[in-house]
Amino acid sequence: MARRFPGLLHRIAVAAALVLTAACSEPANDSGAAEATVYRHAMDGAPRSLDPAQASSVYAKMLVVNLYDTLYRYKYLARPYELTPNLADGMPQVSTDGLIYTIRIKPGARFIDDAAFPGGAGRAVTAEDFVYSLKRHFDPATRSRGAWLWQDRIVGMEQWKTDGADYDAPVPGLRAIDERTVQIQLITPFPQLTHTLAQGFAAVVPREAVEHYGAGFAINPVGSGPYRLDGFDSSGATLLRSESFRHEPFSLEAEGADPAAAGTGSFEHLEGRAPPFIDRIEVQFIAEDAARWNTLIAGEADFIKVPVSQFDSVLASRAPPRLNAEMAARFDLAANLESGFVHTDFNMDDPAIGYHPDPDQDARNRGLRCAIVKAFDWERRNEVFYYGIGRVFPGIIPPVAPEYDTSQDRTWTERDLDGARRLLRESGWHADNLPTLEYGFPSSVTERQMFEQFRSFMADIGYPAEKIRPLTFATYGDYARAYLNREVMLVTTGWTMDYPDAENTMQLFFGPNASPGSNSANYDNPEFNRLFRASATLRPSPMRTSMYRNMNRILQEDCATISGISRTLILVWNREYTMLPDRSFVGGFFFRFVDRAGAPAEEPAN
Amino acid sequence: MMAMARTFSRLRKDRSGLAGLSIVALFFLAAIAVWAGWLGQDWSAADGARWEGPGAAHWFGTNVLGQDIFERAVYSVRTAFEIGLVVALLSTVLGAVLGAVAGWRGDTWVDGAITWLKGVLDAIPFYLFVAAVAFALRGAPWAMHLAMVATFWTTTARLVRAEVLKIRSLDYVRSARAIGLPGVVILARHVLPNTTHILLVQGTIAFVAAIKTEVVLSFLGLGVQDGVSWGLMLAESTQEVLAGHFGNFIAASGMLFLLLLGLNLLADAMQDALDPKQAAL
Amino acid sequence: MRFTAGKLLHGLLLILGVTFLSFLLMVWFGPDQTYSLIGKNASAEEIASVRHQLGYDQPFFARYFEYLRELVTLDLGASNASGEAVRSLLARTLPVSLALMIPGFVLGNLLGIALGLAAAQHRGRWPDRLITGFSVSGMSLSFLVIIIALQALLCTPYGLDLFPVRGWRVDSFASYLQYATVPSLSLILVTLGYNTRFYRAVFIEEYGRDHIRTARAFGASTTEILWKHVLRNSLVPVITRFMFSIPLVVISGSLLIESYFGIPGIGLATFEAITSGDQPVLKAVVGLTAVAFVLLQAVTDTLYRLVDPRVT
Repeated sequence: MARRFPGLLHRIAVAAALVLTAACSEPANDSGAAEATVYRHAMDGAPRSLDPAQASSVYAKMLVVNLYDTLYRYKYLARPYELTPNLADGMPQVSTDGLIYTIRIKPGARFIDDAAFPGGAGRAVTAEDFVYSLKRHFDPATRSRGAWLWQDRIVGMEQWKTDGADYDAPVPGLRAIDERTVQIQLITPFPQLTHTLAQGFAAVVPREAVEHYGAGFAINPVGSGPYRLDGFDSSGATLLRSESFRHEPFSLEAEGADPAAAGTGSFEHLEGRAPPFIDRIEVQFIAEDAARWNTLIAGEADFIKVPVSQFDSVLASRAPPRLNAEMAARFDLAANLESGFVHTDFNMDDPAIGYHPDPDQDARNRGLRCAIVKAFDWERRNEVFYYGIGRVFPGIIPPVAPEYDTSQDRTWTERDLDGARRLLRESGWHADNLPTLEYGFPSSVTERQMFEQFRSFMADIGYPAEKIRPLTFATYGDYARAYLNREVMLVTTGWTMDYPDAENTMQLFFGPNASPGSNSANYDNPEFNRLFRASATLRPSPMRTSMYRNMNRILQEDCATISGISRTLILVWNREYTMLPDRSFVGGFFFRFVDRAGAPAEEPAN
Repeated sequence: MMAMARTFSRLRKDRSGLAGLSIVALFFLAAIAVWAGWLGQDWSAADGARWEGPGAAHWFGTNVLGQDIFERAVYSVRTAFEIGLVVALLSTVLGAVLGAVAGWRGDTWVDGAITWLKGVLDAIPFYLFVAAVAFALRGAPWAMHLAMVATFWTTTARLVRAEVLKIRSLDYVRSARAIGLPGVVILARHVLPNTTHILLVQGTIAFVAAIKTEVVLSFLGLGVQDGVSWGLMLAESTQEVLAGHFGNFIAASGMLFLLLLGLNLLADAMQDALDPKQAAL
Repeated sequence: MRFTAGKLLHGLLLILGVTFLSFLLMVWFGPDQTYSLIGKNASAEEIASVRHQLGYDQPFFARYFEYLRELVTLDLGASNASGEAVRSLLARTLPVSLALMIPGFVLGNLLGIALGLAAAQHRGRWPDRLITGFSVSGMSLSFLVIIIALQALLCTPYGLDLFPVRGWRVDSFASYLQYATVPSLSLILVTLGYNTRFYRAVFIEEYGRDHIRTARAFGASTTEILWKHVLRNSLVPVITRFMFSIPLVVISGSLLIESYFGIPGIGLATFEAITSGDQPVLKAVVGLTAVAFVLLQAVTDTLYRLVDPRVT
C-alpha cells in the first residue's frame, strides 16, 4: 500500500513535469547561424585534476580527451571497438620485429591561444610535443598516474629518469625524427602500444603551459582538442568549441558505421560536416543518484547515466532494456555493457586462506576458497544491486573483451550449495575451525549492503556470522593503502579495462604484479605466469586467445577470486540530440560527434 | 537529602517529565531485551523480497537486501543505549573530576591548564574534531565514543568548577580545610551532593548529544561499523526515499524522535525540579 | 594595559594549543593521501617517492614547526589533489559558505528571540505551552532527519518539487533564493528549538526581576517595559549566545549541509580534505579557524564590557 501510493503520485508528477517542460522548451533553431548550440551533460562524479598525466578517473578522461589530442582514438560507431587515427596521420608503421613504431602527425593541429605562449598566440603541434608529453610521465615531479603503461617498455626511459629527468636530454627510444614524425623504440614487443596511445594519459601537452602554470596546470588546460575550458569547479565545467581545432569532416565509413545496421540512418546527416557539432558543452558533476535523476527530469540536463534505483521507473522491459512510453516520448536510451568488471579477491598471501607452506593445509585452504566461490549467489547479487541486467561471467575475461568465450563452462558462477558443503566436509572444515574472514570495503551504504549480503550467502553453508567481519575504511584511498600493503583478507574491487584486449585483465593475476601492483590477490601460479609471459609479445590471434582462455581456466580452478560481473549501464539522453554515447573506450571522444537533431545542416545540401 | 526528597515530589507533579521518564524507561527495557537476546536478533537475516511494503510478516517492510526493517530498528535501540550510556557516563565523570580539580585549585596553574584545554577543545569545530579522531583511531570500535567523550566533558567541567569555586569559600568548608581534612574527602562529602543535579542533567543532555552525533557519524561512514543503528538506517534511506521507499526513513526517524523527545522532556523536568533557583518561579 | 597583555598571551596559548591538537589529529594521524594520488600498478619506489614529496617521512616536530611557519607567513601552498592554490580555494569557497549560512543563522536566532519572548510574556498559559512543546520537539529531531525530510518534501516529485535537489549555480538573486532556501530552512529548523528554549529562559528571568515589577507599579506600559528594560538588559546573554554559536552552527553545520546539498563551500572543502588527507587545505582551514575563534572570544569580551558596565 505504502509503495503503490508514492508510485502513483510519482508518475503523475513525472507526467506533469513532462508536459510543463514540453510546453516551455524553446522552438528549434531555424536560422542555423545566430544562437550557439548547447549540450548539457551530467556526470556521476567529478574530476580533480585535468592534467592528462593524472587523468586516471573516467571523469577526468572524459574531459581530457576533449581538451587535448591523443595520437589515436576509437571509431565512434564501430562495435567491437576499433582504433583509428586522431592526431596521427594513419596507423603506425611497425617494424617486422615489432620493436620500432613510426608515427606521423597530421598537419593543421594547433594549440589554443593562451597566456603561456609568447604573445598569447597558440602554435602548431609538433612531434617534439608528443615526446615531451610522454617524458613527463617519468618525471617524479609530475606525479603521473599513467606511467605504468609504458614502464620498462621504452628504450632509455628509465635511464633518463635516473639521470635526473632533464627535458632537454634525449631518450633514445622516444624521438622526434622530424617536425611531424615520432619514432618509438621498444625493449620487447608490446602489441597493445597503439591502444595506450588512445588513452587520456597519452594526450599531447605544450611544454610552455606546464612550465608557466606549474601545479596550477591541472586546472588550466592548454590543448589542441576540439574544445577549450571555460570554467571549472567542483560542481561542473564548461567546454567551448575551440577555434584552433583542425578541420576533419565526418565520414560514416571511417567511423565504422555498418550500413546494414538499423541505427545508421540517424547519423547520415553528419556526413561531410566537421566536428565538433555543438558550440558549448556544460558538464555537471552530480555524484548523488537522486539529484542527477531529478536534474534530468526537470530538464536541467540532456544526458545522464540512470541510477539503479530508478530503473523501475524508466524501463518497460529488461531484456532487451527498453524505455517505457512516457520516457520514450522525450528520451533515447543506450544499454551499454561496462568495460570492466567487479570481483572479490582472496589475499593468497594470507596463510589462513591462501597459500600455505604445508601442502595438506594448502589443499584444505583451496577447498575452503572453492566452497566460498560455489556458495556465492551471483543471481541474487545481480538482482539486488544491478537490477538483474548485469552480465555474470566466470573468470576474468569480461564480455566486452574480444577474447570472451560465450560458450564457456559456467560452473564456477552457478550457485552449488551441496557442492560447497561437500567441499567443506572433504577438506575438514566445520564451524569450529573455520577462519575468521575479514571482508574489506570503503565505508558506504552500498558496500556495506554488499557485505551483509555476502554474510547471508555464507550463512547458507553454515559459515557462522560472527566469523565474517567487516573491515571498513573511511575512504577509498585508505582502503587502497590497506590492500596494497596486503592487510586485507577479502578484497572487493572493480577493474576498468584500459583497452579492449584481455591482456589488460590477465595482468591482474600475473605473479610479479603482486601488491603494491594491481595483482591484489597476490596470486602466483607458475603455469599462469609462464603462459602470460609467452602471450605478452604476441599479436591478437586464435592461438593467443586459446592461451588466455587456458589461463582463465587455471585461475578458476585455483579459486583465487570470486569473479565476476559486468554492469549494464543505462544511458539516457534528450531525443533532440543525436549521439551514440559510450563510457568505455570511445568514452569522452563521443562529445565531438553529438549533434542537435533539431539543427539543420550548416550548408544547403547542393 | 532534603533536597532529594523535595526533588522527587516536584518531579512527580510534572506531567511532561513523567511522560519523558516512561518513554525512556520503555526504550531501556527494549534495549535490555535485545541485550538479553529476546528481541531484534534477526536484524541481519536477508530472507524477504527486495523492498517489500509493510505487511504482516514485516511490519515496516524490508530494505533492498530483504532484511526486516522493524527488527533492525529494534536492534538499533541497543546500539543507541550503548553509545549514549558509555558517552554520558564517561564524559560526566571526566567532567566532574576535572571540573572539581580545577575549581579546588582555582587560580593555580592546574586550573589554568584545564581551562586552557577546555578552550582548545571548544575552538575546534565539532564534526571536524570527531571525524579526525575517528580517522586517527583507524576504525577501532571505540573511536567514536572516545571522540565524543573528549568534547562533551567541557560543559560539565565548566559548571562543576563554578560550583566548587563557590563552595570553596564557604565557612564550613574553610574550617574543614583548616582542621586538615584532605580535599578529596571535602569534595566528596560537601560538593558532590550539591552538584548532583548538574551531573544528572548534563548526563542526560550528553546522552541526547551522543545519539545525535552517532546518527551523523554513521551517515558519514565514520560511526558504527558492524551492526545496525538508526544512523546507518537513515544513511540507507537517503537514496531509497528519493525512489519512493520510505520504510527505513520512517522507522529510524520515528524511533529516534521518540527516544530523544523522552530524554529531552526528562532533562527539562529534572532541570526544573533540581535547580533551587527555579523554586520560586 | 596589563589586562590586554594577559589577554594576548591567553589568546596566543590557545592558538598554539589548537594548532598543535589539530595538527596531531588531522595531519599526523590523518589519512595517507599517497594512495589516492597514485595510479594503477604503482611500484613500491613510486609510492615512496610520492610519500616523500608529500612530506610523510619527516619527523613530527619538523613538520609541526614548518606548519607554524606557513601559518605565520601565510604561505599556504596548493592542494595536493587539484593543484589549486589554497588561497584561491579559500577565496572561492568562503563567500559561498557565508552566503549560505548567514541568513539561516540570523533568521534562526531572530525567530528564536521572537518565540522566546512570546512564551515568556504568556508564561504558563497555552501559547507558552505550545511554543515549549515545539521547541522540545525541535530539539529532538536529528539534523539528518530534517534535511532528508525537507529535501523529499520540497525538491522531489513526491512532494512539492519547488526547489533544485542540490547544487549551487548562483548568478542572480532569484537563483540564489532557489538554491539557498532549502538549506537555510533546514538550518533554521534545527536551531530553532534550542534557540527558543534559551531565549525563553533569558526573558523569563528578566521579567521576574524586581525593577520590572517596580516599573509596572509606576504604570509603565507593556511595550515600554519590553523595549526599555527587558530587551536592553538581555543584550548580554543574547550577544554571548549569538557569538558562541557562530563556530558551532556556521562551521560545523555548514559541513553537513554543504556535503548533502553539494554546495561548494568551505565546509565541503574541509570535509573532503579531511577524508583524503589533503594537508595544505586542512592546515589552512584549521589554523584560520583557531585564529578566528580566538578573535571572536576577544570581540565578545569587549562587547561584554561595552554593554554591561558591571562586568570588569
